[in-house]
Amino acid sequence: MAKIVVLGAGVSGHVAASHLRRKLSKEHEVVVVSPNGNYQWIPSNIWVGTGRMKPRDILFPLAPLYAKKHIDYKQAKAVSFHPEGDKEEAKPYVLSEYVVGDDKGKREKVTYDYLINATGPKLNFEATEGLFPGKNKTHSVCTYTHAQEAWIELEGLIKEMKQGKKIKILIGTGHAKSTCQGAAFEYILNVEQELRRHKVRDMAEITWISNEYRLGDFGMDGMLMSYGSNIMKSNEMVEMIFEDRGISWILGAAVNKIKDGKAHYETLDGEYKEESYDFAMLIPSFSGHGFKAYDKIGKDITDKLFKGFMIVDADYTPKPYDQWSVQDWPETYQNPSYANIFAPGIAFAPPHSISKPRKSKNGTDITPAPPRTGMPSGITAKLVADNIIEMIKHSNSELHHKGSMGNMGAACIASAGYGMTKGSGVSITTYPIVPDYKKYPDTQGRKLGKTFGTIGLAGHWLKLALHYAFIYKAKMKPFWWLIPE
Amino acid sequence: MTQRISKYKRFMMMNPIVQFFKFIYLSIKVLIVVAGGHGGTRNV
Repeated sequence: MAKIVVLGAGVSGHVAASHLRRKLSKEHEVVVVSPNGNYQWIPSNIWVGTGRMKPRDILFPLAPLYAKKHIDYKQAKAVSFHPEGDKEEAKPYVLSEYVVGDDKGKREKVTYDYLINATGPKLNFEATEGLFPGKNKTHSVCTYTHAQEAWIELEGLIKEMKQGKKIKILIGTGHAKSTCQGAAFEYILNVEQELRRHKVRDMAEITWISNEYRLGDFGMDGMLMSYGSNIMKSNEMVEMIFEDRGISWILGAAVNKIKDGKAHYETLDGEYKEESYDFAMLIPSFSGHGFKAYDKIGKDITDKLFKGFMIVDADYTPKPYDQWSVQDWPETYQNPSYANIFAPGIAFAPPHSISKPRKSKNGTDITPAPPRTGMPSGITAKLVADNIIEMIKHSNSELHHKGSMGNMGAACIASAGYGMTKGSGVSITTYPIVPDYKKYPDTQGRKLGKTFGTIGLAGHWLKLALHYAFIYKAKMKPFWWLIPE
Repeated sequence: MTQRISKYKRFMMMNPIVQFFKFIYLSIKVLIVVAGGHGGTRNV
């Protein structure tokens, strides 16, 4: 009998727990430890942030589902890692602290045979002075509560615009190393569409601000893609959309301070500038949770487990950009020091960025961090679960399931506006996620055909269909496993 | 605001009949890319 503990119940943690439970017999224990009481389908947060969906449409409570599916659930947060146990506890454990109910504040040593760290990122708002959702007129769509607050504020501004007030909207990234430009891209297009729907578009000046060197970088170094019968660069496609929608842009911007309705930023040219706004949605930087780890005698071994995020089978040797390769990226997400610990999704420490690193003339690193959200999170979680299942069933230590982001495709179905007849979506697929410049030297590291983009109403329908399909899957309804990650 | 998408293109992008077939095509194409498999990079 084996006990598998999954930390986190987001896309990655929930996928891992679901597959483990389905494929392992009941004699094996699957335990989920997460401070969040709800599962939320994060890609639909942008629709909560434009008032087109309510939080209840994108979430459901975890406890009843896990009780029904025989998954042990502890609404608690991880405090520290003890992969060798301690003097009193022979088994490895994670010290966890309950966050709700009568047990709130109580700590428990949650022992395990296998550990999946799927804790995702910490939304590191503190890294940018003054950036906090709901303060200084800035907002976020990173959680459904943030998105709801953003819509309340935006709705109020739309009413003011209808009475003749002109406003400035700033959307993009709020730090030199933010990632998830895709979410901000979706939000700016949805906000623009909502303003048109309310017939106040001419009252707003909308600006995109980003740490990307070029539009359409998305933290993936941009891409060359098939677009209809043409071949187009992602920056050309995004530029076309922004110009068509009347959205201006600021690039290579490291936002470092938010104060009194102004975003202060440094550019790659080393200039310090500011942009005023009435409403801003800026994605913060993501960071690890700052977990500590200890060995059996209580010695700090944090550097064996963490490098900000969790250390896995990546090549972390510092190298110049021209020596980076897809082989640097992890395949199994297994910690090299402890073979029973894995970190799929956003929880693993990437070897380096995907986009070319750039510094400002003042030495500030202005480079988008690599995205691992959504589909890569689900795929890596499933392969980790499959490897653990094989380890349990066949008592072997060889990992057969592999999934490097350098040999994995991803789809980004970006909403460009909500509506069954007026909606739109920018559908982009990319293969591989991490460009392989040796394998595909003439197409900027990507395989054309599998890397393509298209714009239109079908994209909105697809995004909406995926919303319902993935919530169905997350609820583990009949044949849920037939829906791919 | 600069018109970068022609009226004809916009009509095609927003026409529900055209887009219905595009939806089917897109769903299959996305499925092929996503469910088309993944693997390692070090021993290939």
